[in-house]
Amino acid sequence: MSEGVRVEYQEELERLESSALGGLDLVSAALGRTLEAIEHQDVELAQLVIADDDRIDGRYLEVHQSLIALLATQSPVATDLRLISALLHVLKNVERMGDQCVNICKLIPLTGNEPPADSEMVKRIVAMGAQTRTLISQAKRSFEERNVEMARDLVRQDDVVDDLNRECFHLALAIGDDADKREWAMTMLLAARAIERIGDNAVDIGEQVAFVVTGLFKEFEDASHPDG
Amino acid sequence: MTALLEVEGVSVRYGDFQAVQDVTITIEPNKVTALIGASGCGKTTFLRSLNRMHELTAGARVEGEITLDGQDIYAKGIDPVRVRRLVGMVFQAPNPFPTMSVYENVAAGLTLNGTKAKKSEKDEVVERSLRRAHLWDEVKDRLGKHGSGLSGGQQQRLCIARAIAVEPEVLLMDEPCSALDPVATLAIEDLIRELKNRFTIAIVTHNMQQAARASDVTAFFNLEETGKPGRLVEVGLTETIFTSPSEQATEDYVSGRFG
Repeated sequence: MSEGVRVEYQEELERLESSALGGLDLVSAALGRTLEAIEHQDVELAQLVIADDDRIDGRYLEVHQSLIALLATQSPVATDLRLISALLHVLKNVERMGDQCVNICKLIPLTGNEPPADSEMVKRIVAMGAQTRTLISQAKRSFEERNVEMARDLVRQDDVVDDLNRECFHLALAIGDDADKREWAMTMLLAARAIERIGDNAVDIGEQVAFVVTGLFKEFEDASHPDG
Repeated sequence: MTALLEVEGVSVRYGDFQAVQDVTITIEPNKVTALIGASGCGKTTFLRSLNRMHELTAGARVEGEITLDGQDIYAKGIDPVRVRRLVGMVFQAPNPFPTMSVYENVAAGLTLNGTKAKKSEKDEVVERSLRRAHLWDEVKDRLGKHGSGLSGGQQQRLCIARAIAVEPEVLLMDEPCSALDPVATLAIEDLIRELKNRFTIAIVTHNMQQAARASDVTAFFNLEETGKPGRLVEVGLTETIFTSPSEQATEDYVSGRFG
């Protein structure tokens, strides 16, 4: 086996992987700011997250275009092909996660200037966000290390997010009859739901890790057939 | 009508040199099997052993068993000429008989095999073979012209028409597109996909994308080092070989990391 065949192509593929996975760092930073904006009802910080989403979208477009160019010009097969297919999925997830942060940030002006109607709910949303950021970095690391075990563990980590989301739902139900409070609680539920979706996106990335390594695509958990 | 070609523990030697070692593979009917691998890995030698063509090289011999629909093609008393009628071959460079007309080129197979056919029967076979080779419309008005006057792609389709005129069971192709331009190549690939409905097909190719495009099953041949015999490393569905091969050597070859 001769070394040094297709070096530029391999380097380009490595560069694109690191660039696509770097999108997860952008998302994690955006989510961090989003949580801070929720906690402090900081509308300006929320505006910044919304404006900064262009960077995430730009990353998506740039890496996507380069991957398509590799497909067109280099005829990748086997592991390279699986990697490129997985990176296209990862990029889509990155883009979706960024949009969810934007969705949350658009809600923040609606929560008003009054102190939070239920500080317990805010606490849980912030905890969900922190846990989701852990998921994002674990998804990235499992991809970089091609570690299927670590990728599978994302499901367990995501259960924590799901549980907190359910608790938020019950807190919202129990918030009482005051119309303003109910509106606040509904808005916060939308935020919690968006964070919960970001967690799901991180699990999806884990499934792509398994695909790159094994060549088989299987959802870690099949929501349509939970007992199957 | 298509036949099953079963190969069991086949090794090929030229004198003291062992070119191919211990190949076991089933070449299935109605499928295109592509043989891929770097130069010198024994894939062409192996292909030629499938219709005893290698015997034309002095000192060549085959061990192991090759059966066509259960019949051992190396059994005593089996005439190699009969084997080659049942297992046809198309070569790398198009090689129509240069002094013969298009018509005579296609009919040559019948004549050489000693089939005495009436003119009307020959006409029928020539037209049917040229149609199957996707060449009829292009040459029907110049059947009497020399075959060597056709384009490269047309010449290769003429050779395919000649090979299928004798109604073989199996069609072997040794890099049939390596001398052709991309458009002619794609035309031959389309033809190969169509011919598999009628013939069992094995094709040697250096063009990995061709194997990916045109074959159903891919067999990867490799040799550990120069001077060692070629071996069959892995055989599987083409889709599997090009998405998730089992062997690292296959992965490296199809990804273009060596060879």
